[in-house]
Parts: sequence; structure tokens; C-alpha cells
Amino acid sequence: MSKINIIERIIAMHAGKEVVSVGEEVSVTVDLAIAHDVTAPMAIEQFEKIGVSKVFDSTKIALVSDHNIPCSSVNSRLQHKALESFSDQYDVHYFGRSEGVIHQIISEEKLYKKGDIIVGADSHTCTAGAYGVVAIPVGSTEMAAVMALGSIDLEVPVTEVIAINGSLNPGVYAKDVILHVIGKFGTNGFTDKAVIFSGDTIISMNNEEKMTIANMMIEMGVMIGYIDQGDEEIGEVSTIHEISAETIVPCVACPSSPGNVKPIVDVSGVRINQAVLGSCTNGRYSDMEIAAKVIEGRKIAKNVNMIVFPGSKKIVEKMEKNGLTKVFRDAGAVITNPGCGPCFGAHQGLLSSDDVAVSSTNRNFPGRMGHKDAQIYLASPRIVAESAILGYLSSPGTVMPLEDE
Amino acid sequence: METIRGKAFIFGKNIDTDQILPGYAMSVPPEELGNYALKGSSKPDFAEVVELGDIIFAEDNFGCGSSREQAPLALKNCGLGAIVGSSFARIFRRNAINIGLPVLVTNDIERIIKESTERDVFEINIDKARLKNISTNKSYNLVRLSDTTYETLQAGGLINKVKKILIERGERIEQ
Repeated sequence: MSKINIIERIIAMHAGKEVVSVGEEVSVTVDLAIAHDVTAPMAIEQFEKIGVSKVFDSTKIALVSDHNIPCSSVNSRLQHKALESFSDQYDVHYFGRSEGVIHQIISEEKLYKKGDIIVGADSHTCTAGAYGVVAIPVGSTEMAAVMALGSIDLEVPVTEVIAINGSLNPGVYAKDVILHVIGKFGTNGFTDKAVIFSGDTIISMNNEEKMTIANMMIEMGVMIGYIDQGDEEIGEVSTIHEISAETIVPCVACPSSPGNVKPIVDVSGVRINQAVLGSCTNGRYSDMEIAAKVIEGRKIAKNVNMIVFPGSKKIVEKMEKNGLTKVFRDAGAVITNPGCGPCFGAHQGLLSSDDVAVSSTNRNFPGRMGHKDAQIYLASPRIVAESAILGYLSSPGTVMPLEDE
Repeated sequence: METIRGKAFIFGKNIDTDQILPGYAMSVPPEELGNYALKGSSKPDFAEVVELGDIIFAEDNFGCGSSREQAPLALKNCGLGAIVGSSFARIFRRNAINIGLPVLVTNDIERIIKESTERDVFEINIDKARLKNISTNKSYNLVRLSDTTYETLQAGGLINKVKKILIERGERIEQ
């Protein structure tokens, strides 16, 4: 086994070094820096304070208006304008027409490749880890510094591996896998660490499933979330956690933490009045397809609002072409434009104090989707769809037999 | 570095960024952010009662969740002097330091809380990595900041540090 591991290899390469060791402080070059409409305005303001006349490389910066689109307030309009004028002035990539969620867009537009280092002013930047990228979430000031310098200072993290092997049970999806792991290790289980998901269960997943897993690794506090691409040796890591795929059951994260994970059977029957399908976690075509198969020819339960918010314009186009948008609409769901929509509590479907939602998104903190007393259960698109039809939390297979997939 | 002095507010573990600065407030202009500090938490009136220099005592994983820098900025803008906790989420911790809000780790948070009352006044000496309860005259150890973190705080945040780097590189920047 080679001594330096795959994460350290990428860091060393970007630090201009042969090797790096855990704890060492290094400055690494950045291949792509990203920010969106609620983080970029502050980054732009900080960038202007630096007083530099240009960005480090205009082709390596991408701004996306995805959180409040169309604008949900006068202030959010001002935020969009800040992104527009910055992109005009510095000629950076800008996506301001509801093309989709930032993490989906940079993937579809192929703005990065395996082995890159990405810095993003959004915590779910780790989604790109699905493609063998070291993707580091930061705040606005650090984003500003990267736009000026083209580099970021970081300490080489301890690396741990979560190896999942075996066959997943019917009704268990990538979302259940990541929820299972977050439930097992907790929301600060890997603070400041790099975590590599590996094992044959993970490696054999498709890219969309890998993105779901990488996306939620931040919910365990990771510095870097990375998916083993299966094409090179991982190298030496501090700890390997083995999980057998057969032990994973369909599950939900109960209110009010992504770490409060329980098997769905323990909470089946809990009444819901909102079902949310979409986001950078589960807003891709395969997620829509899983849900649409359950919903086709059926009606959303009375008193349940179902909101579908696809991850990108390309996903919507495919949904339209294959009749999925009609399936959702006919069942009584609302389909919004691509974006972050109801996931983060600013618009497009807020909850009041006594509401209960089942959602394919990534966070269920108090107030995440509206009132702080509203209850949010995080689940796979399959559970969201079945629960939407029945009006209460339901196990996969309750509405439509699992073998009919 | 200057001594921080104030009374303390106590928070439990896993205080996430949605509680510190709810999603709906992320678009308000920076100068108004202070009004929304901890609006989504168990102390929604925090911004009205906090006074300049006050301190938050927090248990594990304070600031978990999103990368929104509006969260530490709201706390800084409402007058908070520092946060002392048993652990912090990474992005929040770096964001706070980058804007010049000290976040300090201690292994003694339970004891600090247990041995104090609501009215006690505390003093933090970052250089000595010490926290003192002025009212009881008891002192506690803080984990010393790394050199990089200390430098960033001393520079008043990351932006000033970046300016210095650019000047050293010989780049022209507007002062």
C-alpha cells in the first residue's frame, strides 16, 4: 500500500509538493471557485475591500443564482444584481436564469474534472466529491480571498474510509445509505476530517447516486467528502469503518437533525401535510423517475402539498420529454422552476408551526423550511412519493410493490 | 490582543446555522443582520438583550450546517465579543475567524457553566488562552489558537491578510 493517500495526493499536487502529511498547513491552487446568490454578494463586497483589479482566473469562477429565483424579495433582487454586475465586470461564468442548483450546474457544464480542487461558498460543495474531486466548502470571505489569490490555505486532514460492501435491500436507496451513516456517526462524527466512501456497493453506484451520498457528507462535519472512483489505490488512511450493505434499511432523519435517523418502520403512520421532492441531494432525473413511478395514475393525498423542484433545466427538459412533469401535475403536485426553492426556508412552500413535512432534501434543523416548530423528516424520493400518496410516512412498497420498480 | 469582557449566554450542543441566522434573513443587508442573530434559536430575543463584548458558551458542534457567513456576521454585528465552546463546525469556525470574531475551544465548558451564574462577568485573554470569571475569580484554560488563526484574528480578519500577501507579491492594490 502506498503511504500517501488519494486525498493527500490531490492536495500535494496542488501545493507543488511530492508529499504532505496530516496537520501540515499548505497553500493549494484552486481549479474552480463557486458561489450563489446568497453567498456571492458578501464575497463580492469582501473582494472589493481587497482592492485588487482582477480575479485570479475568470474561467475558474462560477456564480449561480439558485437560492431565491425568481427573486423572493426586493433584497434578493439586489443580490442577483450584485452577481450580474460582478460577472459583467470580471467576465466570470454566471447562471442567472434558473438553470439549476449550483452543484448540479457545475457538474452538467463540466466545469471540473477528477483530481481537481474546488472551493465553494456553499456547504454542499462536497457534492462534487462524487467525481473524485477535493471539494471544500467555505464562507464568503474565504471565497473572496480565493477569487483574488487563486489559492487557499488549509491543513492536511486526517482521512478515514467508510467501506460499504454487499447488496442493498429492496427499497434502500443512496439516500438511505448516507442517512444510515450519518445516524451511525452523528452530525459531528468527522469534523475537520476527510472521508472517503468506498466498497463495492458505493463503487458500483451510478453518478447520480454518488452525488446524493457526497452531498450529505457535510452533515457529518467533514472537511472533504470524497467517493472512491475505484480506479486507483486509496492509500494509507487513519481508520476504515466497514459497513455491510445488508444491514441498511429504508430510513428517515427525524426532527430536528440529520443525525436523528430511524428506520422508516419506527415512524410509519406519522401524518404529513407537505411532501418535498428535489434539491441538490435528490433533485436529479433518476430521483424524479423513482417518485414518478409510484405517483403515476394516483393522486396526492388530500391535505398534502407536494412540491417538486428539479435540480436543473436539463432535468426538467428530460422530465417533460418523458412525461414525468405530467405525471406529477396530474397527481396534484406543484412543479417549480429549478433551484433551491423550499429546501432552505426562504420561499416556495414554507411551513407553519404545526406542519409536518417529508422531504428529499438534506437538512431538517428547526426553522429550515419555515416556522421553527414545523417538523421535517428527511427521506429518499421513494419514501417521499409513497408518503405523499398516503398522507402519512410509509415504507417503500406500501403503495407500489417493490418488485414492480 | 485586546481583552474581551462581558456576561455569558449559554447554548447547548448542535446549534446550527439555521438557528443562528434563519434562511429568510440571508438576503437582508449586512448592516441589518445583527437584528436577526439567533432568531431561530431557543433565545429568539438574543439580539435585543446582548450587549457589546458579551460571550456565548456553547456545547459541541456550534455552527453546524450551512456555509452562510451571515451567521457569524450577525453575531458579530449585534455586539458579541467571542464564542467559547467545546467544539465548532469547521465552516462556521473559519468564517468567524475570517471576519475577526474569536471562537475559542475549551475542554472545561461544563465546569465553566456549572461554576457560574447568569449575572457573572467574564474576561477572555486570547494571548494567554485564559478565561476568567471575574465574579467568582476562577480561571479556566482555553485551547491555544494555531499560529495561522492567531495571525488572521490579529490582522482583523482574512481580508487584511490577503492584502498583505498581494502586496508582498508586488501586485497593485487600492488601499
